[in-house]
Amino acid sequence: MGSLSTSFGSFFERSISQMNGLRSQIDRAQTQIATGSRIERGSQDPAAAAALRVLDRRARLTEAASANAAQLGQELGLADRELQGVSALLQRARELAVAAGNSPLGPTGRAAIAAELAQLEQELFARANATTPDGEPLFAGDVAGPAFTRDASGAVIYAGSATVPAIPLAPGTVIERGLPGSQIFEFEQGGVPSSAFAVLGTLASALASGTGDPAAAARDAIAGLDSALDTVGRAQTILGTRAVWVDMIQTEQQGRAVDLAERRSEIGDTQISEAIIRLQQAMTALEASQSAFARISSLSLFRALS
Amino acid sequence: MPIAMFSIGRSGLLASRTGLELTSQNIANATNGDFSRRSLTQSEVVGTGNIGFNSSDAFGGVRLSGIERVQSALVQRQARDSASALASTSAQLQGLAAAETALERTQLFDAMVAFEAALTRLESDPTNIPLRTSVVESARRLAGTFNTANETLANARGLTVGEAEADVMTVNTLTEDLARINRELVAARDGSASKAALLDSRDAALRKLADQLGITASFNENGTVLVTANGTPEVPLVDGGTSAPLSLDVAANGTISFTIGGTGFVPASGAMAGRAAALQGKVEVQDQLDALANNLITLVNTAQAAGSDLAGSPGQPMFAGTGAGNIAVVMVSGAGLATAPGGASPGSRDTANLTALLGGIAAETGPVAGANGMLLQLSSRVAGLELRREGLSIVAATAEGELRREIGVDLDTEAANLVRLQQAFEANSRVIQVAANLFDTILALR
Repeated sequence: MGSLSTSFGSFFERSISQMNGLRSQIDRAQTQIATGSRIERGSQDPAAAAALRVLDRRARLTEAASANAAQLGQELGLADRELQGVSALLQRARELAVAAGNSPLGPTGRAAIAAELAQLEQELFARANATTPDGEPLFAGDVAGPAFTRDASGAVIYAGSATVPAIPLAPGTVIERGLPGSQIFEFEQGGVPSSAFAVLGTLASALASGTGDPAAAARDAIAGLDSALDTVGRAQTILGTRAVWVDMIQTEQQGRAVDLAERRSEIGDTQISEAIIRLQQAMTALEASQSAFARISSLSLFRALS
Repeated sequence: MPIAMFSIGRSGLLASRTGLELTSQNIANATNGDFSRRSLTQSEVVGTGNIGFNSSDAFGGVRLSGIERVQSALVQRQARDSASALASTSAQLQGLAAAETALERTQLFDAMVAFEAALTRLESDPTNIPLRTSVVESARRLAGTFNTANETLANARGLTVGEAEADVMTVNTLTEDLARINRELVAARDGSASKAALLDSRDAALRKLADQLGITASFNENGTVLVTANGTPEVPLVDGGTSAPLSLDVAANGTISFTIGGTGFVPASGAMAGRAAALQGKVEVQDQLDALANNLITLVNTAQAAGSDLAGSPGQPMFAGTGAGNIAVVMVSGAGLATAPGGASPGSRDTANLTALLGGIAAETGPVAGANGMLLQLSSRVAGLELRREGLSIVAATAEGELRREIGVDLDTEAANLVRLQQAFEANSRVIQVAANLFDTILALR
């Protein structure tokens, strides 16, 4: 028997292993199409699988950072709205002070203005203690309690911290979540520390008591109110700038999320057209080898002899 | 004279009939993978005598000298060696692929990133109770995932050990069989069908043995075999009529070691060597997993201890345990998370401590990078083994095909033989008929 002889067994063994190989190719292509993902197990492409893990993590963290940015944007918006209210309120107080300082008013007129000013001071106190929808104080820095409290004498004291916690929104980008109340409502007037509450309170009580020269007290208060307006205006500018910054970061985050998704799809998703062509190729090859097997296996001398 | 023709025809008839039987035997065993094609050796019978200077020949027909089996020592050896190498890599691949599945399907990396994302989310609003609760719950999921991965890995180890234990019995049965075959071969007569059958079973047993353990077989003149297991040291498994038993020891960490006849032995190839390597690999993965869990526990608990919780008291540990098997969340509620630095006032929204923890988690030496690196290393290893197995399976398939071609039955050849032998049988009958006619002719003389 020379090397030309092909034994019965070896032909069948070879045919089986060839057809099994084609069948597993078909199976793989079918799974890729059905799941839409190119990699089922890390070992099919270890480097790509590791890259996918890193991308998935970055996508996940970007998602969390976007949620953080959205929340920060919302808080900055709330703070801005409160400060608009504060600004309008102080404008109104200034108008009242001007009126009380210039036109001769009777005791009833002064009492009315004093009552309105006291009301405004109450509203200012409420706005300074404004909270987020979750009940966190907006202007207390990193302290949990209310930003401003009244002591026994009725004076308003800042109870928050001087610093504000910062939130990292992107690698290297840290934005503070607002301004401490002390930077919004407190200022120095003629070298003496004062606050919007103190100016309003002093003016209201001066007008209410009627002793001394209420008109002069009103004129004095105007400078204090101007300083308070300036301070609030500055705070609004800072918050506005931060809000724009957060907007920019949000846009950037959206862009990054899209980039990450694209990159992920490039690495990990099935290229459908390619997979279908591979499937077709393997199926054609399998069909061909099946029919070739059927023909060759029927070629036997026994068949010819009978 | 016709008398000789009768006996010559008879011997021819016997030879062709035996040939036909042998062909039928070959055809019947065409699908028997252990069967080596047989052929008949024949020799001429001539009687020669001398008287003085006159010599005379007398034809005696044909003699059957024996049943020969195709010689295949070389291809058998190639098939055995390539099968050993393939079985070794396959077993190692199978074991490590199970470890890969254990770590990937449990989504350990995903759980770790979820924990990191929950902590990141908390940075925006550190006193928010729902956000704090979600951190604790994601920590619980992470600890649970570690436990599951640990258990799956232990199961995979147990399966491999179970397989190895079962196959130790297979090896011992095979070596005992080979020792018995050796004893019987000594008594078998050369050229007999029973000897050919014994040699077939010898080669089949050697091939099965080679799947489990790499072996070197050296054959003696009478067909008996000395089997040595490849490895360090090289130990005889079957020597003459005796066999040395293989036994298996399982160490506490899940690795296995072997002895043959009481001598410590490290196999070089075969499924046993692959399983030992796979178990060693799994122990390494287990160590990495434990180190990863321990890294996470230490990192988080150290950060907790450095900060103060929502009530302003020093942070208490979040995780208990030392490894993947016993990691557990001991923090009762989200209020226990120490987001603020040590000494901060109750309800502080300072996130310095949380930021430091996040930095530690995302660091190059942190658990996230560690998990990714571990998975990458494992899957690269599995991918490498897969490539190697692919190459080896081609080599093994080629060697197996070579062996089949060498020893297997070719039906076309057998069909041709059948026709040839049938004709020979008819021709020999014809010889006898002619002899009878000649005899009749002589008897009819008068």
